[in-house]
Amino acid sequence: CDDFGDVNVNPDAIQTSTPEYILSKSIYDGTQPLGNHPGLLMGTMQYTTSWNDIAGFGSKYTTAQQTRTSGPFSDSYSNQINEINEVIKVMLDKPEEVNKLSIARIWRVYCYHRLTDLYGDIPYTEGGMGYIQGIYQPKYTPQAEIYADMLKELQEATAAFNSDGATFGAGDVIYGGNIDQWKKFGYSLMLRLGMRLTEVQPGESKTWVERAIAGGVILNDADIAAIRNYNATGQTLTRNPLAYRLLDDDYRSADGVNNKEGGKYQETFIDSLKDNNDPRLPVLSVVWIDGEPENDPGLQKGMSDREPGQAPPDFAFLSQPNPATVLKEDGALLIFTVSESNYLLAEAALRGWYGGQTAAALYETGIRAAMRQWEIAVGAAGAIAQEDIDAYVIAHPLVATTPDNIEPALAQIYTQFWMGSFPEAQEPYNHYRRLGYPALTPNDYPGNATNNQIIRRFLYPNTEQTLNPTSYKDALQRQMNEYGWKGDDLNGRVWWDAREL
Amino acid sequence: TVPVSFAQQFASTASARALRGLQVSSDPGFVEDQQVSLKEALNDLKKRYNIRFAYRAGLLEGKTISAAWLEEGLAAEAMLDKMLDHCKLQYKKINKNQFSIFAQDDSTSPFGSLTSMDATANVEASIAARDERSPNFTLTGTVTSQDDGMTMPGVNVVVKGTAIGTTTDGDGKYTLSVPDEGGTLVFSFIGYATQEVAFAPAQTVVNVTMVVEMSTLGEVVVTALGIEKDKNALAYSVTEVKGEEFTQAREVNVANSLSGKIAGLNATGSSTGPGGSSRVIIRGNGSLTGQSQPLYVINGMPIDNSVPGGSSSPNGANGNLATNVDRGDGIAAINPDDIESITVLKGGTAAALYGSRGANGVILITTKKGVARKGIGVEYNTTYTLDNVAVFPDWQYEYGQGDKGVMPTTQSAAVGTGRMSFGARIDGNTNYVAADGKNHPYTAQKDNLKHFYQTGKTFTNTVALSGGNESILYRLSLSDLDATSILPNTTYNRKTANLNLSGKLSDKLRVETVVQYTLEKGKNRPNAGDALGNPNWTPYEVANTVDVRWLDPGYDALGNETLWNDVPIATNGYFVINKIKQRDEKNRFIGQASVTYDILKNLTAKGTVTRDFYSYDFQHILPTGTAYVLKGEYLGIESEVSETNAMATLNFKQQLSESIGFNILGGFNSRRFVEKRMDMRGQEFTQPYFYSFTNLNTSSARPYLGRTETNSIFGSVDFDYKGYLFLTATGRQDWFSTLSPDNNGIFYPSVGASFVLSDAITMPTAFNLVKFRASWAQVGGGGPDPYQINLTYSSVPSNTVPLQNVTEVNPGTKNITNAELKPFTSTTTEVGFNVQLLDNRLGFDVALYDRRSTDDIVAVPISVATGYSNAVLNSGELSNRGIELMINATPARVGAFTWDVSYNFAYNKSEVLKLAPGISTLQLGASANGNATIRNNVGNTYGAIYGHRKLRTEDGTIVYNPTSNVAEWTDANQELGKGVPPITMGLSNDFRYKDFSLGILVDGKFGNSVFSVTEVYATRLGLHKMTLPGRENGLRLQGVTKEGAAYDYTVPVENLRNAYWNAQNRYTELFVSDASFVKLRQVILSYRLPVEKVKFLKIQSATLSLVGRNLAILYKKTDNFDPEQALTNGPAQGIESLGLPRTRSYGVNLMVKF
Repeated sequence: CDDFGDVNVNPDAIQTSTPEYILSKSIYDGTQPLGNHPGLLMGTMQYTTSWNDIAGFGSKYTTAQQTRTSGPFSDSYSNQINEINEVIKVMLDKPEEVNKLSIARIWRVYCYHRLTDLYGDIPYTEGGMGYIQGIYQPKYTPQAEIYADMLKELQEATAAFNSDGATFGAGDVIYGGNIDQWKKFGYSLMLRLGMRLTEVQPGESKTWVERAIAGGVILNDADIAAIRNYNATGQTLTRNPLAYRLLDDDYRSADGVNNKEGGKYQETFIDSLKDNNDPRLPVLSVVWIDGEPENDPGLQKGMSDREPGQAPPDFAFLSQPNPATVLKEDGALLIFTVSESNYLLAEAALRGWYGGQTAAALYETGIRAAMRQWEIAVGAAGAIAQEDIDAYVIAHPLVATTPDNIEPALAQIYTQFWMGSFPEAQEPYNHYRRLGYPALTPNDYPGNATNNQIIRRFLYPNTEQTLNPTSYKDALQRQMNEYGWKGDDLNGRVWWDAREL
Repeated sequence: TVPVSFAQQFASTASARALRGLQVSSDPGFVEDQQVSLKEALNDLKKRYNIRFAYRAGLLEGKTISAAWLEEGLAAEAMLDKMLDHCKLQYKKINKNQFSIFAQDDSTSPFGSLTSMDATANVEASIAARDERSPNFTLTGTVTSQDDGMTMPGVNVVVKGTAIGTTTDGDGKYTLSVPDEGGTLVFSFIGYATQEVAFAPAQTVVNVTMVVEMSTLGEVVVTALGIEKDKNALAYSVTEVKGEEFTQAREVNVANSLSGKIAGLNATGSSTGPGGSSRVIIRGNGSLTGQSQPLYVINGMPIDNSVPGGSSSPNGANGNLATNVDRGDGIAAINPDDIESITVLKGGTAAALYGSRGANGVILITTKKGVARKGIGVEYNTTYTLDNVAVFPDWQYEYGQGDKGVMPTTQSAAVGTGRMSFGARIDGNTNYVAADGKNHPYTAQKDNLKHFYQTGKTFTNTVALSGGNESILYRLSLSDLDATSILPNTTYNRKTANLNLSGKLSDKLRVETVVQYTLEKGKNRPNAGDALGNPNWTPYEVANTVDVRWLDPGYDALGNETLWNDVPIATNGYFVINKIKQRDEKNRFIGQASVTYDILKNLTAKGTVTRDFYSYDFQHILPTGTAYVLKGEYLGIESEVSETNAMATLNFKQQLSESIGFNILGGFNSRRFVEKRMDMRGQEFTQPYFYSFTNLNTSSARPYLGRTETNSIFGSVDFDYKGYLFLTATGRQDWFSTLSPDNNGIFYPSVGASFVLSDAITMPTAFNLVKFRASWAQVGGGGPDPYQINLTYSSVPSNTVPLQNVTEVNPGTKNITNAELKPFTSTTTEVGFNVQLLDNRLGFDVALYDRRSTDDIVAVPISVATGYSNAVLNSGELSNRGIELMINATPARVGAFTWDVSYNFAYNKSEVLKLAPGISTLQLGASANGNATIRNNVGNTYGAIYGHRKLRTEDGTIVYNPTSNVAEWTDANQELGKGVPPITMGLSNDFRYKDFSLGILVDGKFGNSVFSVTEVYATRLGLHKMTLPGRENGLRLQGVTKEGAAYDYTVPVENLRNAYWNAQNRYTELFVSDASFVKLRQVILSYRLPVEKVKFLKIQSATLSLVGRNLAILYKKTDNFDPEQALTNGPAQGIESLGLPRTRSYGVNLMVKF
């Protein structure tokens, strides 16, 4: 009577995992837009906006829509973080799988830094351990400790690669199993995270930046960390996630009028491109005229972030993303670029942490790499003529600075990074918070929740108050004490966001 | 037919007979053919078959039959035929349990007086009071039963205060010589109310209709496993509702009809239109997250009550906004015309034999069977009802469409403010332009619900044929229900065929089969919850100067949605009606077959196999051109669900001594539940406007096969002592496939006793019945869902490299499995008493219960930071305690007029005692946008509403944030009300006068609250009256800041919506209302047509009724919606979310028997 055979065995489920397949899933999930979609950071960084208050939250910070910022927290743990933990669980303590373990550890750092940068303290040591360790109410780890551990992880993982060991092969949708490139990606992340500490731990920052540079970062287009195998008509998960998100939120109608959430490019971004005669403008932006996307720079015009809940009369004639490039669902997604390495190296040079090249040379290399990025991502439609790049570079030299005041140069570097990074908004947002560049003008939209300030962080999900109350309260109290947060608020500054405003 | 387990109870030897008190003639000369008196033989039959006899006093005197006949084990009626024929008597079957006996030539038997073994005291009294005056003239008449309109033989007719009397003949006629000065006739018959009718001098005809007496005396009820028991023997509370209760004023879903009729039963239909599901909870929710609804059982065997693809949720289901459709539950397939009666077993003590699934109570449905008769009996029942919206919102009509105090004068401004009523003062201004681009006067439009919804219609027709003879009985019914919703283009059709065959193959072998086939078809069932695809959004939230019909038809020349407001997610309601396509079809087959074999006369074996099977096909299409999902979306479900049970029982009955009876039953049951489902989803129709699963840009089909099995052995023992003390004990051992193989079995017992004080001692005559009862039962249960033991992995559809993830229970739901899963336990203690007074005209029934669930298997929602959404735990503890009261009374019984009152009251206190170590809250559901959550918190009641309040100082001053200029808010853990009403009650009044009857049912629920999403939006959009202050000069806010400084700020008119009211959605407390109500639930006015006057039509009876359901809300606290506006039959109750408005319905019912 008590033997039911395999009745309780799900015939449609696999009993043991295939780590290679789970890794692929984790990479696709980990590169989803998180906060980086039109309604959030793309708006905050003033690339886009919407006349509609709901979708316009990122650029308007309206009180009624604050809880929209909790999405990335909710989405990350159950997807990319849990998945990468499942991979690591299998690879631990197996010398022959050391390369796979290292790849997974690097990927976990990528996933976690994107999350902690948005929120501050988050469950890290105990995060995503519901099944593996039976932790149902994970404690939050202070961001300083998270950073220390992430950098340690990057160091150990990059050092542990073994050129004879097995890799994930095709399941590694970033590098197809090339461990040299993974090393470069690991050190590049170390460079990114090390530089993040300039305002709070300058000594540590220098150490990690130098260590990363010594290890070797991504400097050639062939080494760019990217997902290149997207499919324009396939499953949502295997389409370029930024293109898909923009299309799905707003631009599927492809007529300039019936933009579902009332979205357009914001005038801050379009004006910057126009004012600088940026050759990227026609690559990025179109206006729909007579049913055709026109990318003539003279026609381009962004939308104000003050539109009061109604479309402006000239809505149809405002600029929006170019379907041939930005909205190309089988375009590559760039995770870590040559331009970012060069901009970070330029900052290192300015700070005297790197002497290989001058800051000005690195800055120029960064701009050139950023201009090439679009062709790398989407092919011919993204190509920018060499003479246009040359002209732009000549018109935009890095100002000379002294070691006492590198600010004008930093402002140039990270404004340039911002202009070249779109549609990736999260790293520009990080630099904006760390240094204040680009110098964006906050929106004083009526009913904003931030006293006319650009949001400094995202809000934890409400469910944490109810399902993880002690850990949540502890973390909040700690950050209120340490960083002067007024509760779980949008104006709170995370640990590394410490520069005087 | 006679219940098997009681059919044979004779010992096979004379000694056994003697033990049972049968007085056998001991004359040695008649050894070969022992005789017993007819009276004793009948007495024996009475006990054996639970039947009653009525006959004239003295009719049986001196008559004997052969004792051997009693050994032959014939069915009751065959036995009666044989015995009575021998004695030159005949009988007529009055109803299932009552027979009247009279002489074969008995047409007029003057001066005979009727008696019966159960004659009530007043009959005896009237007989005793007779005198010997002589009669002077002849009075005749016919006695009929109001119950079924049939004539009644054997009714005792006495002239009050005299010895003059007779009984009615086989045709229900009597003839009596009466005194010429007139007088009063007393008509009495067991089971019917005694009637007194005055007759005038020289009157020649007095016809009388006898009314069934509302008496529990000696009543037989169906209990667990279909066993019939004397109600006096029950150690727990059981309520029986007759089939007629469901057939006149109908609900499409029969379960909704139970509301207000049974103490402790809380039934709520979903606000989703015809074919929607119902939530029935008996004595509180029994499981923290799992199934709390009762088990539905037809003729002793369980059926499936699942909702295909799962219940709809209070917000969008699993992120799939477009598919939050109530697909209807299993009980919705039952045709009320096939129901003989419904018995409600309220809890573990009554239902222990059903095991875990009985822990939440059992609703036993007994279907109609054929009756032996000449020719074919035909019944026809038709009902036509109309539905209209019952409650209209009380919005503000002072300021019209627009924002910032400005009225729109262009089409684009009108679309931008399509759902905003923050415009100018409504003044009839003709410069107003609406979303249709046309000029309209700027006037209030108060009838948008009337204009958007139509009159719903439901037309039901049932024909039943029945008949049979001694060896085979049959009943076949065919039914068609055709409903048109109040929502245009929404229909529901249900066709039912039900065949019941029972046969006696030999003296020892009986078979019974029931076959039911149901075909349900739904079209365009409405979405609810969030805005996308929800048809109700537009009529409820459109700006108050817009006539909703201006938005008709909701699509342009290409078929694309025309916009009416600033966010496309709020779909144009007319586009929903006209373009969104949903259809479903459910083919359901319920088959039962049982074989009963009498191994010995007191040992019976029975085997039953049942299978409830349905195949289901559902398709929901968001079409090309939907503004929010431009290229459309597809969702399909194809599923097959079957519940198969095989049961065998062995029953042995023995009289241990003259005063002690004994019955033992043992059996085993095997249950197999299989759900086979294919979920098909896809996005973007490749060829626009062509809707097929083959025409999608991306699509995935995901199979699911869920199998659960339970094996059980069980037994029960019953003792009765002199018919006034009863003891019952049961035990059951279950093994569950869903649990850890190491720990998947559990044994659980129950015991109960009942004591009929009024039979044990002589009570004052005012007491007809005084009974006490007590019981204790434990029930064990397994996990409801399979595959909760081991973590598994599933492939994820991909167009590139293979992808794999942890298996999701539903899209987005990952459970932490539990390898240690063991059975849960539910323990119930119940005590109660029942008193019947004053000739059964007043009765009380009181029950107290305490029910505790331990080791409850709970999928506890856990922090998202764990990587999972739920953990399957085995430690929940939940208590429900309550009291139930029923009062029955007959305040008036004057001549042909009777007035019966029945009142029921129940109070249930639930308390969540424990969840899991370190876990103190369990979220059952949340409103759209998560403003309100329904949770089980340790120490609080089941299903309380939680959310944010405005932050206030100790003296109540609101704390404002000077940055955002709205109030600060508290955390989300504020308790704001109960989602489930602790108090339920019902009051029914039934009036009967001759051929008329009037039934009025009022019911109420008290003590619960409801969070209204309709009001959240109405506030953000300026429809709610609370948004009126400050429209002219700005809204002044006064309070303090967090730092304690005085705060004084005036929100300017232009920012009222955007900066202030729009942000009020954060304060959950503003939208929680008391959900208590009293409703005029049901009114039935019936007239029995005088068909006997048109004999050529051969109509036996015909009843015409005017019926009404939910006619009025007599008391409510919600201003803008019906407090019962629930939209899911899942556990998260207490959220109103723009569901289809509830309706009042009224119509006509005709019941004809040929």
